[in-house]
Amino acid sequence: MAKMIEENGPSSHIGMQGELSSSSRGRQKLESLLNKNMRIRMTDGRTLVGLFLCTDRDCNVILGSAQEFLKSSDSFSQGEPRVLGLAMIPGHHVVSIEVESDSLADTQGFGSSH
Amino acid sequence: MVMKSSVEDDDAGWGLGVPEKMRNNANWVDITHDFKGACKELNLGELLHDKLFGLFEAMSAIEMMDPKMDAGMIGNQVNRKVLNFEQAVKDGAIRVRDLSLPELTGIMDTCFCCLITWLEGHSLAQTVFTCLYVHNPDLIEDPALKAFALGILKVCDIAREKVNKAAVFEEEDFQAMTYGFKMANNVTDLRVTGMLKDVEDELQRRVKSTRSRQGEQRDPEVEMEHQQCLALFSRIKFTRLLLTALIAFTKKETSSVSEAQKLMQQAADLLPALHSSVQQGIQSQNDTTKGDHPIMMGFEPLVNQRLLPPTFPRYAKIIKREEMVNYFGKLIERIKTVCEVINTTNMHGILDFFCEFSEQSPCVLSRSLLQTTFLIDNKKVFGIQPMQDMIKDALRYFVSPPVLSSKCCLYNNHQAKDYIDSFVTHCSRPFCSLIQIHGHNRARQRDKLGHILEEFATLQDEAEKVDAALHSLLMKLEPQRQHLACLGTWILYHNLRIMIQYLLSGFELELYSMHEYYYIYWYLSEFLYAWLMSTLSRADSSQMAEERLLEEQQKGRSSKKTKKKKKSLGARPLSREITMSQAYQNMCAGMYKTMIALDMDGKVRKPQFELDSEQVRYEHRFAPFNSVVTPPPVHYIQFKEMSDLKKYSPPPQSADLYMAASKHFQQAKLILENIPTPDPEVNRILKVAKPNIVVMKLLAGGHKKETKVLPEFDFSAHKYFPVVKIL
Repeated sequence: MAKMIEENGPSSHIGMQGELSSSSRGRQKLESLLNKNMRIRMTDGRTLVGLFLCTDRDCNVILGSAQEFLKSSDSFSQGEPRVLGLAMIPGHHVVSIEVESDSLADTQGFGSSH
Repeated sequence: MVMKSSVEDDDAGWGLGVPEKMRNNANWVDITHDFKGACKELNLGELLHDKLFGLFEAMSAIEMMDPKMDAGMIGNQVNRKVLNFEQAVKDGAIRVRDLSLPELTGIMDTCFCCLITWLEGHSLAQTVFTCLYVHNPDLIEDPALKAFALGILKVCDIAREKVNKAAVFEEEDFQAMTYGFKMANNVTDLRVTGMLKDVEDELQRRVKSTRSRQGEQRDPEVEMEHQQCLALFSRIKFTRLLLTALIAFTKKETSSVSEAQKLMQQAADLLPALHSSVQQGIQSQNDTTKGDHPIMMGFEPLVNQRLLPPTFPRYAKIIKREEMVNYFGKLIERIKTVCEVINTTNMHGILDFFCEFSEQSPCVLSRSLLQTTFLIDNKKVFGIQPMQDMIKDALRYFVSPPVLSSKCCLYNNHQAKDYIDSFVTHCSRPFCSLIQIHGHNRARQRDKLGHILEEFATLQDEAEKVDAALHSLLMKLEPQRQHLACLGTWILYHNLRIMIQYLLSGFELELYSMHEYYYIYWYLSEFLYAWLMSTLSRADSSQMAEERLLEEQQKGRSSKKTKKKKKSLGARPLSREITMSQAYQNMCAGMYKTMIALDMDGKVRKPQFELDSEQVRYEHRFAPFNSVVTPPPVHYIQFKEMSDLKKYSPPPQSADLYMAASKHFQQAKLILENIPTPDPEVNRILKVAKPNIVVMKLLAGGHKKETKVLPEFDFSAHKYFPVVKIL
């Protein structure tokens, strides 16, 4: 986490300059998802739901107001989420990422291939 | 998956207004592939984020799947279902009736261990509430276990209330959160003790009926039952006594404190029985599926894992059963000591009591009980005496100020009365704080002592003004008497005590490096103890002046009472304290000279001062003293001038200094050995002084002068003064 931040520095604004390279389309896609509700499944089976706030090249994702749901097989504790607040999910622990379908309406490119 | 929309108070405020957007059966679309692809296009180290979300916010995110931050991880990694009480009962995983005696004994012992672990600073959720039975005692059908569960809850509740009220804890001492659990609030204290007593009586009958009779062939099964009943009986009775003692502390009468003391003694008498039967209860099995936690029927270490805040100490190590009885023994001793405080009436005595008690580093419960026993509801001492009266008594005892003497005309002068009453009222809060500070843990005390000096500086100022006003009033009424520096002396005395304690506690807390010792000991010996001794002797002469006056007045009335005169030749009230201060001063002076001499011989390792200097450290060490006016702080430059050895001719060599140090230790030894009734503290100092006399003489004679091995300072005999060891 700390490493990611140190490296960030001034380069964080590059994405916002809107360079017209091929890579800027990916950036635009990601930017259009900012502050959208996102559901991320982790390698240990838990699911986090929260606002997409930040990501980087390694797909580390920060969710705001995150809530933790246990794996669906756990019949007892299912349903009651645990409030986590601000949470960072390391990229290598991200299994799947989902967004709400209507939040895709105003974003470009995402989901169209599905 | 059902989504529960709840409004959280996220401090960063991210996602306000989200909950209404989160609704059931939202249509989720998988974008994993696209998302990961898009991420690849970002540069190394580049963060894609909203304008409003920056590095600062990112810093406070918890990292998932990091065992240090992610409390939810553990619960998710065990291969079993974590059941709550109702589920466990339904599943038949635990029973609420037909429990065998060894099962009950085992559950109770584990519960005791959890209770102790909680008292040592862990959260209730990770200790007592890992026991499923206390989640809802109403569901328990076994009468012994039900009464016990309620008893434990009541003990926790009262302990929590006491600790909260006393407010002498910090996060490292105590976790007061109850996580929404009910602390048996629907049942009265009396009902619970009654239930425990009923179970106890029933068990006692069984114990008696299975007792061996003379000449009878012993049936091993009956003997076994006898032992098991006895084990359970002792545990139930112990719980009842502990609870009743705590209830006694909540009462306002002083008599209830001695009542609590008796109950604690009875509880102590049960400890051997508890100890001998620890093996009788069912033992926990170690199973890797529960992580490091042992498996025990009725306990689920992870049941509250999801109640914990996102970042929390993950693991509370529950103490072992073998240590349980030992801990209870010590706890009982501490609570019994606390009860003794009501036998001390003088404020200085009480202050000493608090200091001494704190020196054993007692637990937060006993510390809190001491506080709440001393000041009941923050109004009156022991619930009977107003703090102001106690302060006046302390003043009379210490300096006998004319204004508080019934033989002085000021005593009934309403203006003088106003002065002294308002002064005493102003004193009451700082002195209450001072006593409260001694209830905190040792490390926090030091910090708080540094801060309270500011309040005492204000009092000092007021004391001097009141002294001056009273003096000018007295000059008009009784020109032969004086009222000079009476109140001021008393406040100064406390100022100095606080300062000395502040510096000394740095040794106990191991804050100082070896190269700093010399200026700390210098400050103590040359400055603070010198001031303390002159303050004490001024108070002493003030007392004597007052006594002389009283005698003269009495002589005027009856010349027969000359016998009483001899009394003044006996021990003065402050003489012991003066003697002790002399001993401490000599110990400090001895240490100071030792350190200087060791430094001359190159036997003190000094740091490479790069970013700081000795001056920076010195000023930091004595920084809290800057708020004090009397005595004025000694600044680094002054210290360097005052301690400069070049002002002597010829300047002393290390051998001279070792010799001088040896003499100081010798002097301290002489003083201490002449104390008629030596207390443990006297013996502790002697244990340091004696070997140091010898070591310093050896060093003065050039012993191991060439060795470059650094000396060792052994603080095991005394917290503040080390035995110097040359290797």
